[in-house]
Amino acid sequence: MDWEALIVSYLLGFVLLNILLVLMAYMTWFERRLVAFFQDRIGPNRTGPFGLLQPIADGVKLISKEDIVPANADRLIFLVAPLLSFVLAPLGALVVPFGDSITLFGRQIDLYVIDINVAALYFLAVGSMGVYGIILGGYASGNRYSLLGALRSTAQVISYELVLGLSLVGIFILTGSLSLVEILRAQQRTLILGGLELPNWFILSQPLAFVLFLIAAVAETNRAPFDLPEAETELIAGYFTEYSGFRFSFYFLAEYINMIVVSLIAATLFLGGIDGPFIDGVWWLVAKAFIFLFFYVWLRATLPRFRYDQLMGLAWKVLLPLALINIGVTGLVRLWGIGAL
Amino acid sequence: MSELTTAHFLFLSAALFIIGMVGVLTRRNVLIIFMCVELMLNAVNVTFIGFAWEQNALTGQIFALFVIAVAAAEAVIGLGIVMALSRRLDTVDIDEVRQLRE
Amino acid sequence: MAIEVLIFYLLAGVAIAAAAGVVLARNPVHSAVSLVLSFINVAAIYVVLRAEFLAVAQIIVYTGAIIVLVLFVLMLVQQQDLPEFHGGRPLRRAVGFLLGLALLAEVAAAILTRSLRGAPGSWTPEAVAAVGGNIQAIGRELYSAYMLPIQATALLLLAATIGALFLARPELIEERLAVARRLFTISLAHPRGVDTLQPVAELPAPQDGQLKPAGGDRSLVMARTAEEFTEQPAWGESRR
Repeated sequence: MDWEALIVSYLLGFVLLNILLVLMAYMTWFERRLVAFFQDRIGPNRTGPFGLLQPIADGVKLISKEDIVPANADRLIFLVAPLLSFVLAPLGALVVPFGDSITLFGRQIDLYVIDINVAALYFLAVGSMGVYGIILGGYASGNRYSLLGALRSTAQVISYELVLGLSLVGIFILTGSLSLVEILRAQQRTLILGGLELPNWFILSQPLAFVLFLIAAVAETNRAPFDLPEAETELIAGYFTEYSGFRFSFYFLAEYINMIVVSLIAATLFLGGIDGPFIDGVWWLVAKAFIFLFFYVWLRATLPRFRYDQLMGLAWKVLLPLALINIGVTGLVRLWGIGAL
Repeated sequence: MSELTTAHFLFLSAALFIIGMVGVLTRRNVLIIFMCVELMLNAVNVTFIGFAWEQNALTGQIFALFVIAVAAAEAVIGLGIVMALSRRLDTVDIDEVRQLRE
Repeated sequence: MAIEVLIFYLLAGVAIAAAAGVVLARNPVHSAVSLVLSFINVAAIYVVLRAEFLAVAQIIVYTGAIIVLVLFVLMLVQQQDLPEFHGGRPLRRAVGFLLGLALLAEVAAAILTRSLRGAPGSWTPEAVAAVGGNIQAIGRELYSAYMLPIQATALLLLAATIGALFLARPELIEERLAVARRLFTISLAHPRGVDTLQPVAELPAPQDGQLKPAGGDRSLVMARTAEEFTEQPAWGESRR
């Protein structure tokens, strides 16, 4: 039993979790400032310089609120559901490779927490478990409108989860592996595209899959314009109506952590992760994930939200057939490429 | 008991299967009976994969994969039937479903 | 490998306790949550058994889809409290429990006196690592020797989808069947060769952005009293 490797993994995971939590808090600040900028106003700038202490003020406020459990609520599940959401959210980041190996204290440490050979499926599995936070939260509130909101949100998430998974199959065909480290290595080769030598980033060889992944990711994390189940004008707040104080903040922050993790995964799968012009490093990954986060906030500030039947129709009638076509075409091109056609 | 043998996994599988069986025999709520059936299918999967591990063969894993796929199909149809039943009879108590008996 | 045995006991213990929770819980939603816990532990046991792909497949398909479906149906159907497990039929409970114990004793005897061993296969851990991992090995086996079961499973899933659609919306299928019947039936006794079935009432398709057709086929009604107004047919019904 390799105890040293286990302890190193735990330490890396601990550091990663702390970084994710801080990033998530400042993601809320970033979003509020950026949405304000889009809407031609300023956003929080009073608490601390540039409003940087705003997330801390929000946290203190939410913790100090009264913890209300409705009388009709199923107590045990009411307590567990937001925890489930919040705990499952950062698990997807465990497989993201943050760098090549570094040597510390005479020991080679690879900069990812785990590398399993089904890493991409693991990310999808964690995403599909996240549905339970939603449906159990809506049920446990004892409020039939929360339940309705939860059922709608669950149906949306599982439909777009399908599109998310299928859009990645093209990448698996081109790489021959599901491990994110392998996919990263495959993207470090060069792609000859009409005389140009480009890195083999999958955004270039799988553009349709990239678009599908983005749309499905926005819908998976219940973000605008797919945030009907939790919009303020619909069903009050959907499945977390009855949650107040810190429990609400679990759901709210789980959403932001989901956004960050999906951005990291998208940056690794499609944009080459730590690959960069001068020197490979984790900062390139952060910059690429930042592009996706900006895109998320941009979508929220700009687009009106989808109606529920439009949203479901989009998933099943448009995105799913496109994902299947993408798989078919990728498979054919690959077979032709290796001369088996 | 200091090494993992197949007997460990077979005992686990037997325990899960028997608990599922007792659930199917005892409970009256159709949906809980359905969940106990899924538990039994899962127990069978553990057996398959345990044997695949023992023999260094993949047949067990592939069979378990097909069992999962078939269980998904069965879940869909079974739950559709439960919903249609509940619409007609307005109950999910399996003791109330005695149309074929009378 | 004592640590593996400890991990196995932990996982198996929680899986069995959660399975017992499924059977014993009074509230069906608690049962479902217990089942999820059991499945996750069983998935972890699959990882111990070096079946990583099956583990994630179990989580994605079983816990992520099937139990969510069960929870959906529970929410939509479970409207009243059943006088359940703790509420009656003690004879049934006792008989079930005794049968379970008897079966457990038999199976334990069978396991402990096992002498049959299967033929050893060729996928040793080294061979699996040589092709790149568990999922690559499964891919090789599946798509070479098991092509027919894959096609059969695809057909089965298609049949399940159509069946689910029919169970959920039988009137939709009836409508389509009636249209198809009209289209493809030739009546030998009729001079024009076509059955005179009543046309299926087509609900007017809502335009984009509106939920009801503009105007539709309802004339403007001037109601003189409140009763006259409330007697108007609902949307979709025709005036008789």
